[in-house]
Amino acid sequence: MEALPQTLLFGILRSGLYALTALGLAISLGVIGVVNFAHGEFVMLGAFIGFWLYVTLSGVSGLGPAVSPLVIVIGLPLSAVALYVLAAGIYRLALRPVLRQPELNQMLLTFGLSILAVNATSILLSPQAKDANLAWRFDLLELGFVNVTFARIAAFVVSVALVGATYLLLARTRLGKQMRAVAQNRLGAQIVGIPIDRVYEFAFGLSAALAAAAGLMLIFQTQVSPFLGLGTLLKSFSIVVLAGLGNLAGVIWASLLLGLAEQLVSQYVPGGAALRDGLFFVIIFLVLLVRPSGLRR
Amino acid sequence: MALLEVSGLVRRFRGLAAVDGLSFTVAEGQTVAIIGPNGAGKSTTFNLVSGLLGSDAGTIRFRGTDVTRTPAHSRTRAGMGRTFQVVQPFVDLDVLDNVVVGALFGGSCGLGAARKDAERLVDLVGLGPKRHGAVTSLTLADRKRLELARALATKPALLMLDEVMEGLTPVEERDAVRLLHEVRAQGITLLLIEHVMSTVRDLSDHVLVMDYGKKLAEGRYEDVARDPRVIEAYLGTETLE
Amino acid sequence: MRRNLFGWAAFIAVVVVLPWLGIGSDRYLMLLANVMLMFMTLALSWDVVARTGQLSLAHGAFFGLGAYGVAIAHRTWALPPLVGMLVAACAVAALALALGVVTLRLRGIYFAIATLAFAEVLRTVALQFPDLTGGTVGIAMPPLFDGDRLLSYYLIGAIFVLALATSLGVRWSRFQYAVSAIRANETVAQVMGIDVVRVKVVLFVASATLAGLAGAFYMPFITHTDPNDAFDIGRSVAALVFPIFGGLYTTAGPVIGTILMRSLEEYLRVTPPWKEGYQVVYGLVIVVAVLFMPRGLLGLVGEVRRSRPDRRWAWHFSR
Repeated sequence: MEALPQTLLFGILRSGLYALTALGLAISLGVIGVVNFAHGEFVMLGAFIGFWLYVTLSGVSGLGPAVSPLVIVIGLPLSAVALYVLAAGIYRLALRPVLRQPELNQMLLTFGLSILAVNATSILLSPQAKDANLAWRFDLLELGFVNVTFARIAAFVVSVALVGATYLLLARTRLGKQMRAVAQNRLGAQIVGIPIDRVYEFAFGLSAALAAAAGLMLIFQTQVSPFLGLGTLLKSFSIVVLAGLGNLAGVIWASLLLGLAEQLVSQYVPGGAALRDGLFFVIIFLVLLVRPSGLRR
Repeated sequence: MALLEVSGLVRRFRGLAAVDGLSFTVAEGQTVAIIGPNGAGKSTTFNLVSGLLGSDAGTIRFRGTDVTRTPAHSRTRAGMGRTFQVVQPFVDLDVLDNVVVGALFGGSCGLGAARKDAERLVDLVGLGPKRHGAVTSLTLADRKRLELARALATKPALLMLDEVMEGLTPVEERDAVRLLHEVRAQGITLLLIEHVMSTVRDLSDHVLVMDYGKKLAEGRYEDVARDPRVIEAYLGTETLE
Repeated sequence: MRRNLFGWAAFIAVVVVLPWLGIGSDRYLMLLANVMLMFMTLALSWDVVARTGQLSLAHGAFFGLGAYGVAIAHRTWALPPLVGMLVAACAVAALALALGVVTLRLRGIYFAIATLAFAEVLRTVALQFPDLTGGTVGIAMPPLFDGDRLLSYYLIGAIFVLALATSLGVRWSRFQYAVSAIRANETVAQVMGIDVVRVKVVLFVASATLAGLAGAFYMPFITHTDPNDAFDIGRSVAALVFPIFGGLYTTAGPVIGTILMRSLEEYLRVTPPWKEGYQVVYGLVIVVAVLFMPRGLLGLVGEVRRSRPDRRWAWHFSR
């Protein structure tokens, strides 16, 4: 049995990518007010871009151990830009037209996009899960009391950096302030002359770019498959629900809580590795059961 | 006996009290107008009294019964009807069926009776010729009429009207006031939120002035309108006639 | 609407005599007929929830629960399939009630999220309790009516008629007024005296039970179930894409949508490069329908007058 400090460390490391993924979802939900059921597919596409980069770079002789850092250095901007452009296109062609329609139609649209993306990827690329045998997946960093793979450290560092940068963007830049204003009061923001449409487009693109970055880092830890979006989405949902819809600051502690809870359960509860995968539901259900008034519109 | 008794009502949003210890009563058959500058807590009061919002403290009694924890739909069935400032008709139903909904559920009658009621009310508010039209093609004045008919269909003893005059032309306003006089003549107690002061003067027996979630003054229109505190609260926003 | 009642009576008559019109001897066509009725049931049941403005992503899960209910009843208590189906239906109703009571008093997005999470967690749970569910291997069971597809056809036909009656019953009763109001604006609906939460919960439980019955039929029909099949999200997708394609908030829409789209699926499944990726078509249909034909084929054809309930029959059915 692992020691408690190690469990806690792994839990914290785990929460990094959770925060990165959930923050994107929280932004699209908070700013645009639409539940994006295709958010997991943004993550999945980011992972596929990373995988493609890994295959390409591995083909170049002489790179050797440099492949892992190169995948990150090249992959992050590449996947972020690609998904930003894709999401902005989706916003203009599909999302914007349904913004004035009933909520049911909006949710159906993003759910349809999700099904479309999963199955198109499955047909065009491969339905099979693939492994990226990146060196950092296995190289260990010795911390004295525990050994951690470079992959986990890298994912955490990248997540912290990007989440931090996003909060800075929200707090300091004009566009970020406009996004928060829209999230807090849609009508008011419109009245004071905030270009809502541009803010929406940027928010949706940003959320996809963050998801893509998370997807890229995911290939260091798990298999790449067209179907990895659903599980990712549900965990992000549980975090966003726990934090409170539209509460961007709450995403961090909610992610920490999920990450730690999952690690503790799988470590200390008998048969916990399996229970861990159901925790997201327990969280969603409990929050809706206990705190509905705090979460109501 | 007081039809509606509100005492010590409090509702906070993120720590900020939108309604802060408000107490007032409405006697049966009376028409009471709530006035006050924007953000005074008038709409929040309506939402609390109609049960769409839960209160943080205080009690609401209707016909002597405590309804503070009663869900909104039960309050409607008990005789507390209301309209909304921003009218929101049911878009998939035609004009008549919009009113049928109120009679069917709020007025608790069968479909046959509900239809008869709705026909009568649609005629009363002057939407008779448009009864089978789509609600999306109604003008604002017509939507306000529909809103009133729908609320009347729930057979209210107390009818809360949230700015029914807003956005109407002077002619439409006169029609609306006449209509409300008719409603009053049927013995329905009215509680109004109103910005149009001529309406307040013409209709109300009693005026309640709110500011910062509290009761600033109350009394007859003539007295309240002369109250220096009231005039000050309104200064820069609007002036009383 | 009298014509509609006769129309549906005629449709049921066609369903009854269909096996005697030549397809009864064809094993494949009988299989397809069984499956069609099963998916019509699923599609009709999903649409009933959609009428309240709610997006259920758990109908595939209720279907799977129904399947597991029968299987577990068979394995644990050796109950015959027909009894097992009743047990399964009750179990599904109870779970739907619990899920509905907690989530349907909140905003619609919570319900949608919770149903999706519910569906996925069931799959995980089923894998975790192999003693009860047979784990990844699943549970096998002898074929329904010893594989007589004519008898099974009439059984699922009866379940389909139940779903049809539910769908028409909502349309021709007070419910139609309630759901139209709720769909447009829940706040205003409350103030009109509608117990919004109760209406949503009642329809959700009824709808989930129908989906569960369809699954409870499916399991002994194909004689096997396992977590990945029973809780395949694809079935939730089918449950919503058929009504969307045919026409939301109607009874004919889900039926027509199922016939057309399920036929297309039957073709794509055996045609490279689609195969399992045929679902890409479902995704595309959802997106295109929401953007360009929000009331589906029926809306396009213009056959749907506005969803106003017919008074004469409404009056009859409300008694």
